[in-house]
Amino acid sequence: MQTESIDFMKFGILSPDQIKRLSVVKLTVPDTYNEDGYPIEDGLLDQRMGVIDPGLICKTCGARAKSCPGHFGRIELVRPVIHSEFSKIIYMVLQSTCRNCHRILLNDEHLKQYSAAKIDIEAVDEEEASADEAAGTKSQSSLLKRLKNIKKCERCSTAKPKLKFSAPTFFYVDDYKLKPDEIRDLLAKISDADLSMLGIDGRSSRPEWLILSTLLVPPVNVRPSITLESGERSEDDLTHKIVDIMRINLRLEQNLNAGAPQIIIDDLWELLQYHVTAYFNNETSSIPPARHRSGRALKTLAQRLKGKEGRFRYNLSGKRVNYSARTVISVDPYVNIDEVGVPLEIASKLTVPFYVTVWNLDEAKKLIMRTEYPAIMNIISKDGKRKRLIDANREELVKELHVGDILERQLANGDIALFNRQPSLHRVSIMAHRVRVFPGKTFRMNYCVTPPYNADFDGDEMNLHIPQTLEAQAEAKYLMSAQYQIFSPRDGEVIITNNEDGITGMFLLTKDDTYLTMDEATYLLGLSDIYELPKPEKNGMYKGKDIFSMLLPKDLNFETKSSYGPFKIKAGRLIEGVVTKETYGRGNNKLMIKLGKDYGFEELKKFIYLSSKMADAYVTMMGVTVGVKEYTTSAKLEEERRRLLEETFKKISDLIQDYKSRKLEPLIGYTMRESLERMIIAELNLVREKAGEVLLKHESGENSAVQMTKAGSRGSILNIEQMTMFLGQQATLSGGRIRRGYYSRRVLPHMTPGDIRPPARGFVSTCYYSGLSPTDLFMHAVGSRSSEVYKALLTARSGYLYRRLSNALQDYFIEEDFSVRDAGNNIVETIYGGDKISPISVQLAKMEEQEKK
Amino acid sequence: MKSEPKKYSVESGDPVGMIAAQSVGEPGTQMILRSFHLAGIESTISTSGLPRIVELVDAKKRPATPITYVYLDEKIARNFDKVEELSRKINEVKMGDIAKRVLENFSKGKIKIVLDVQELESESITQKQVAAKVEKALGLDTKLDGDNGILVNAGTRNLKTIRSTSVKIMRMVVSGIEGAGKATIMQDKKNGEFYIVAAGSNIEGIIGVEGVDKSRIFTNDIFAVYRLFGVEAARNALAYELGKTLKEQKISVEDRHLRLIADAMTAGGSIKGVGRHGLSGEKHSVFARAAYEETLKHLIHAAAFGEVDIMAGVTENILVGKQIPLGTGAVRLAIKKEDLAKIKPVEK
Repeated sequence: MQTESIDFMKFGILSPDQIKRLSVVKLTVPDTYNEDGYPIEDGLLDQRMGVIDPGLICKTCGARAKSCPGHFGRIELVRPVIHSEFSKIIYMVLQSTCRNCHRILLNDEHLKQYSAAKIDIEAVDEEEASADEAAGTKSQSSLLKRLKNIKKCERCSTAKPKLKFSAPTFFYVDDYKLKPDEIRDLLAKISDADLSMLGIDGRSSRPEWLILSTLLVPPVNVRPSITLESGERSEDDLTHKIVDIMRINLRLEQNLNAGAPQIIIDDLWELLQYHVTAYFNNETSSIPPARHRSGRALKTLAQRLKGKEGRFRYNLSGKRVNYSARTVISVDPYVNIDEVGVPLEIASKLTVPFYVTVWNLDEAKKLIMRTEYPAIMNIISKDGKRKRLIDANREELVKELHVGDILERQLANGDIALFNRQPSLHRVSIMAHRVRVFPGKTFRMNYCVTPPYNADFDGDEMNLHIPQTLEAQAEAKYLMSAQYQIFSPRDGEVIITNNEDGITGMFLLTKDDTYLTMDEATYLLGLSDIYELPKPEKNGMYKGKDIFSMLLPKDLNFETKSSYGPFKIKAGRLIEGVVTKETYGRGNNKLMIKLGKDYGFEELKKFIYLSSKMADAYVTMMGVTVGVKEYTTSAKLEEERRRLLEETFKKISDLIQDYKSRKLEPLIGYTMRESLERMIIAELNLVREKAGEVLLKHESGENSAVQMTKAGSRGSILNIEQMTMFLGQQATLSGGRIRRGYYSRRVLPHMTPGDIRPPARGFVSTCYYSGLSPTDLFMHAVGSRSSEVYKALLTARSGYLYRRLSNALQDYFIEEDFSVRDAGNNIVETIYGGDKISPISVQLAKMEEQEKK
Repeated sequence: MKSEPKKYSVESGDPVGMIAAQSVGEPGTQMILRSFHLAGIESTISTSGLPRIVELVDAKKRPATPITYVYLDEKIARNFDKVEELSRKINEVKMGDIAKRVLENFSKGKIKIVLDVQELESESITQKQVAAKVEKALGLDTKLDGDNGILVNAGTRNLKTIRSTSVKIMRMVVSGIEGAGKATIMQDKKNGEFYIVAAGSNIEGIIGVEGVDKSRIFTNDIFAVYRLFGVEAARNALAYELGKTLKEQKISVEDRHLRLIADAMTAGGSIKGVGRHGLSGEKHSVFARAAYEETLKHLIHAAAFGEVDIMAGVTENILVGKQIPLGTGAVRLAIKKEDLAKIKPVEK
C-alpha cells in the first residue's frame, strides 16, 4: 500500500550559495589516496563525503558505507566558467535583454500582448497549470522571435550590439570575446519580473547561476573507486575528470598569484572551461572528448543519464524485484489453465507473507513450530527487523511473537503467483495462476494458455512473481487470473483455448462416423470428471458427438456455420457439424463466446480444461501422426502436377510471345512490361491455388496431414503442396520475382540473359519430397535468406513503433464519466469507444446484440 | 455528463491507452514489411504493412504513395468517353513526361525542348499550348522550333541559372492538376461505374473539376483530408487507414483501439504524431519526456525555466517508485478531517 505521496517536483538551478550550504567540504587537493592508501583530507575521496569501504565510518554522519547517503563537496573555481549545457539559454536571455538598462528589449505596451509564462508552485492546480503553460509557451516563442530581431532597446534606445554565439561556450560582441564574469554581471542585473516574461522562474533558476564559480562535487558513493585483483585502485571516470578540473584550477590560481601574463591566464581559463564542459557532457559537439589512459572516452555526467543503458531508462524505468523465480517451462495437461506447477525446490525458497493478527495468533504460533515443508522461513517484527527462523531459535521466537509481526511462509499450493514470459508485448503476457507444487525442476503449465504468452516448450523459460501484500494478491486473483483473460483485449476474440493436436482430437471425435465402445467412452468421460454416459446408439456404441456433448451445458442451444458446414447444438447436444478450429480454436470462436457470455468465465475455464483432456486422450488413442507416408505422392498426383505446370508454362510463354509481337493488351495504368510481369505473377499464383485443389481431390481422408489442415489445428494446404507437388515462386526482399544475381539480366550464369520464364526467375517446380534440383535449391536459398533478413529488419522496426506508441498513450485512462483522459485530465474521447464497451467483451456484446434481433 | 455503466463496460481507471498501444504494437512482428503481391493485377501499388502504420502514426505530412479515388457524377459515370475526358483534365502531366530531350545551349543562353509527338497526342496537348504554358509560367521569351520543338530564351548566360531554368521547365505541369498525379480509369465490377484513381492527393484541386462527385472523393492522405475537411474528418480517415492496413495483413484489431489512437493524435485540434516531436514530446511531465528520448534536452530545459512536474502520469511515478495513477492505483481513500477526529483508538 502506498502511504507517502509526492505532490510535485520543482526543477531549478543551484545557486553558489546553495552549493556552499549543500557541501560539507571544500576540496583543494587534486589527489585521491596518500602513500598508505588512506584518503587524503580535502582530497577527492575525503571521508567527509561518505565512505565506500565497508569497515569505515563516514566523518559527516557517522554511518557506515551501507547506510550513509553520501555528502556533497565543492570546488571553488578561481575564475568562473559557463555551464556549457545551458549556453543556448544564456544566449537567449542575452539576446532578449538590453546591455545598458538590463531590461527586456520591448516596452511595457508591446509586452502586454504576451502573457507571462508563470510557473507558480502555489498554483499547481492541475488544470490551471496546464492551461497556463500551454498559453504561455505559445506566445513565448513568438515573443522570443520578436526579441531576437529587435534592433534597439525600446526603453533606453540603446542599440543592441551584435552578439555572436559559438558553441559550446563562447560569446562574442563584434570581435570581443565576452568573459564569463562579464556575462554573469549582465545576467545578474535582469529582474525576476523580466525573466518571467521569458518563461524563466527567477526564484529557482537565476540565469547568472549558470556561470559557475563554485562546482558541486558528487559524494564518493556516486563515483566509487574499485580495487582490482592486483590490489591496484582504479578510480571512477567522474573522479578522473574532477581531478583534471582541480589541477587546472590550482595552476590557474598559482599563475594568478604570480601575476602571469594575460595570455597565459586566458589559456588556462579556457582549459578550465574545457574540463568543466567535458565533466558535464563528454559528447558536447565541437570539443574533443576527454579520454581515459587506454583511449576510451570518459563517461561523464550526461553519459550516465542518457540512452537505453542510462540512469533513466535502465535504472529508473526498469525496476528489479525480489520474490521471483525463473526456470524452463514444460507441459502438463493435468494442470488447470489458471494453475502453474512450481518445483518444490523453488517453492521452498519463495515466501508469502502471513500477517499476524489477534485472530490468527494461535495459528501463527502453530506455523512457526512446523518443521516440514510449508514452514516459516523468517519473522519480520514490527520495527522491520527480519529474523531467520532456525531450529535453534524456534522456541524463543514463538514466545516473542506479537500481533503485527509478519511471518514469511514457504510458497504452497493455492497461493497466487504472477507468471510471465518475455517479450511482454501485451498485458496477457503476465497472468495470475494458482500455485501447485510438484517435484522436478520446471514450471508446468497447461498448453491451452501458451498462446497469450506466445510460449512453446522447446526450452522457453518463464518468470514467476509472488505478490507480497494482501491487496496485491487480491488484485492478482480477481483481475489477472488466467480465466479472466480467455478473451483477448486486442479484438475480444478467444485467445486461451485448446490448440494444435487438441483440435485434431476434437475434430476426429466429433466426425460423423466416429463411434466409441463403452470402454473408450467411459475412459474419455472419466478423464473429464463426467461420471454418466450418454444414450448409446442402436449398435451399443457411443457416438463421438454425444461424448463431446457431455461437456456442454445441458441448456445450450447454439447454431453457427463453419467451413465444414453447419454446426448445431440443441439442448446441450451436438446434433450436426464437426468441431474445428472455427468452433474450438483461437480466433472469433462463436461457440466459446456463447459459453462465456451465457455461463461465465468459470464455466468456460472448466470447458476448456476438461475438453482439452478429452481431446488429448482421443488423439492419443487414435495415434495421429505425420510421417513420410503423408507426403508420398502417387503416380497419378505426379501426373497431375506435371500437367498443371506444363499448362501454366505454356500460358506464360504465350504471354511472352504476345508481348514480343506487341499483341499483349496492357493492364490499365501499367506499361507493357509491367503488365506482362503482373500477368505472369498472377498465372503462377493461380497454379498454386489449382494445385491445392488437385491435392485435396487426390488425398484420402486417412492422410493425417490433410486432416490437421481440415481441422485447422496445424498447417495449410500450401505446406502439403510444397512437400508433395512444388515449392512455387520464391520472392525477394523487394517483393517481386528474383530478378538477377551476380550476372547481368540473369540469376545464374548458365541461364539465357533476359529469360523471364518461370524457372529462370525463381519458380521452383520441384518439391521437398522429390528433392530440389540444383537451380531450384539455389532459388530456394535466395528466398529463405530474403525472408530471414527481412524478419530481423521487421522486429527492430516494429519494436520501435511499439515503444513510441506505448509511450504516447500510456497515460490515457477511463475517468468515472467513461471519458478517456490524459495525465493532464484533458478529454481525449468523450465516451470510450462510443459505447463504453470493454475491449475484452466486445465479442460478447456483439453476440448479445445479434441475439436481441 | 451523467453516464451509467453497462453490462460490458470498461471500468473507471482502465488504462485504455496502453491497451490500444499494445493491440497495435504486439502484432507488429506478424506484419509483413512488403508483401509479394501475387493476387494484385488490379490493385494499385501502395505502401502497406508496417511502413504504412509507421507513416500514419508518425503523422507524415505526405504519404509515400498518395492515392485519390475520384468518383464521378451519376450522369457521366458510365460514359467512358466523358470519363476519359475528365481524367485528362485531372491527370498531371509534367514536361518531363512529354519531352524527348532537353538541349541547353549555354553559349547562347537558350534551352531547346524536343517534345515527343506520340506523348503529346495521347495527352491531347499541342505544341503551341505547351509553349504558351512555359512562357506564362516563367515569363521567358518562348518560340516554336520546327513541329516538335520549343525554344526558350533563358535571357542570361549564367550556367547555373540556365540549368536551374531547364530543371524548372522539366518539372513544370503542362496539363492536368498539379499534385494530382497520374490518373487511371478503373471500372467498378459491380455496377459498371467508371472512376478515376489518381496517384496524388491534391483533392483541393480535383474537387473543383466539373463532373467530380464531391461527396464521394476519397484519399489516403490524412493531411489532405485535414486541410479540406477538418480534424474530425482527419481523425476518421486516420482510424480508417490504420484499420485497412491491419486488415490487409489479416490482423484483427478492434476499431476502438484504432479510434483511440486517432483521437489521441487529433485531440489537440491538429494532427500530431506519436513520436518525440508529437504526443510524447509534448507531455506535461519533465520526467516522462526525459525517460523517453532526448533525456538531457528536457532536463536542461526544466532546470533553466524552473519547470514543475506534477507527477500525474505513469512514467514519473514509476521513476520515483510510487504507485501509478491508473487502474486500482487511481483509487484513493479519502476521509474528512472532522470525521478523522471521531475515530477512537482500539482499546487493548
